Amino acid sequence: MDVKLVNPFIDAFTTVLPQMGFPTPQRTGMTVNNQNAVSQGVAVIVGFTKEIRGNVVYNMSEDTAKFIASTMMMGMPVENFDEMAQSAISEMSNMLTANAATNLTALGLEVDISTPSLTVGSDFQIKISNEQYLCVVMDISGHQVEIDIAVQQ
Amino acid sequence: MEKVKVMVVDDSRISRMMVSSMLAKTNFEVCAMAENSAEAVALYAKTKPDVVTMDMNLPDADGIECTRRIHAIDPKAKIVMISAMKDAKLIMQGRMAGIGSFLQKPVSTNELIDTLMIMCNENVGAVAVYRESYVTTFAKVLQQSLVSIFGIQSEIEISQNEESVLHVDGVAAVIGIVGEPKGRVALYMDSETMYSLSKAMLGMDPQDDLSADEAEAAIEEAGNIITGRAVSRINDVFKDKEMRITPPGTVIGSDIILSNPELISFNVVAKTSYGNVFMNVGFARGV
Repeated sequence: MDVKLVNPFIDAFTTVLPQMGFPTPQRTGMTVNNQNAVSQGVAVIVGFTKEIRGNVVYNMSEDTAKFIASTMMMGMPVENFDEMAQSAISEMSNMLTANAATNLTALGLEVDISTPSLTVGSDFQIKISNEQYLCVVMDISGHQVEIDIAVQQ
Repeated sequence: MEKVKVMVVDDSRISRMMVSSMLAKTNFEVCAMAENSAEAVALYAKTKPDVVTMDMNLPDADGIECTRRIHAIDPKAKIVMISAMKDAKLIMQGRMAGIGSFLQKPVSTNELIDTLMIMCNENVGAVAVYRESYVTTFAKVLQQSLVSIFGIQSEIEISQNEESVLHVDGVAAVIGIVGEPKGRVALYMDSETMYSLSKAMLGMDPQDDLSADEAEAAIEEAGNIITGRAVSRINDVFKDKEMRITPPGTVIGSDIILSNPELISFNVVAKTSYGNVFMNVGFARGV
């Protein structure tokens, strides 16, 4: 897939998170993968379609998910990854993908996004492509979020 | 499955037929047709429709007067006016009489269905509208597709998902829905069912070898086909909906929780001789 399609997603991540009170995330890795992604604990899948079709996955550990949920809820302590914390992570994924969709429109590629599907568990696999997909690792003050992006050719 | 009942009040037989034919493929059911105001009031009391379509010109009283008479027996009656004229004065008088919505003839199918859906949203609730208008179609398509793709019969059960999580042990193909309404479908089953079904799909014998990758791909494709068919059928009825689907994402493993606190969702279970096939259809709240 075209590497330039990854920038709208990275830009969304670095733009949206600071607006929610996070330090600016840093990109710490980018690879092209063939194998199924492996869940780190919490993985949110958001599909998109229209001028390009595909899926994006936000994959993180439960600790990172709790850190993000807590920051989004104005620092409220999050002991368990409960329904409220799950809603926060779903909402973040929705905002990130909606923002990425806006960035894609600027490239002339209009997309509509689905509702996020949040999955929780250890060690399960996530398949979003029959071909290669891009995997970007973003760091938010020591917490890693892996973004997997697959676009159908 | 309980249908949403509609009473059609119109003095023209052609107009009554047009409205009923528009509703024929939907989960709205015309429970009564009246050609004048007196008949409308009598049939309303008898059939207790969920919603009424009301013509303005009736032989014995106008649609506004007829609305007043219906409201006298049921103050909560939901009435949509369908008339050739639609001006500010008529709308004001109609609103005062208790008409909830106004449409101008000729009415398009999508306008009519949308309006009735919105009116019924208040009356029977969003859950019933989702269930009647969308989920039953998904369930029918699932049952038909199990025959056409895998060659198996099934018994179908639909229930509203009261928990906000689904437990997946095996494989789940997740397909997003964009457009109006937004949502997602998850088709999931245990590994044993996955292998049996995918072998049936590929015309293989039960003892043949099939790799996990291929079996997962088969279920993913089945999810894609079933969701695509259901969405096409819904688009065919609700012409302005333009729902589309995103490519499937598949999760594979044990003890996976699929959480959707933001969705109103329904469980469709197809019981087959190969095991249970689960489909959860969820829509974003607040459409």
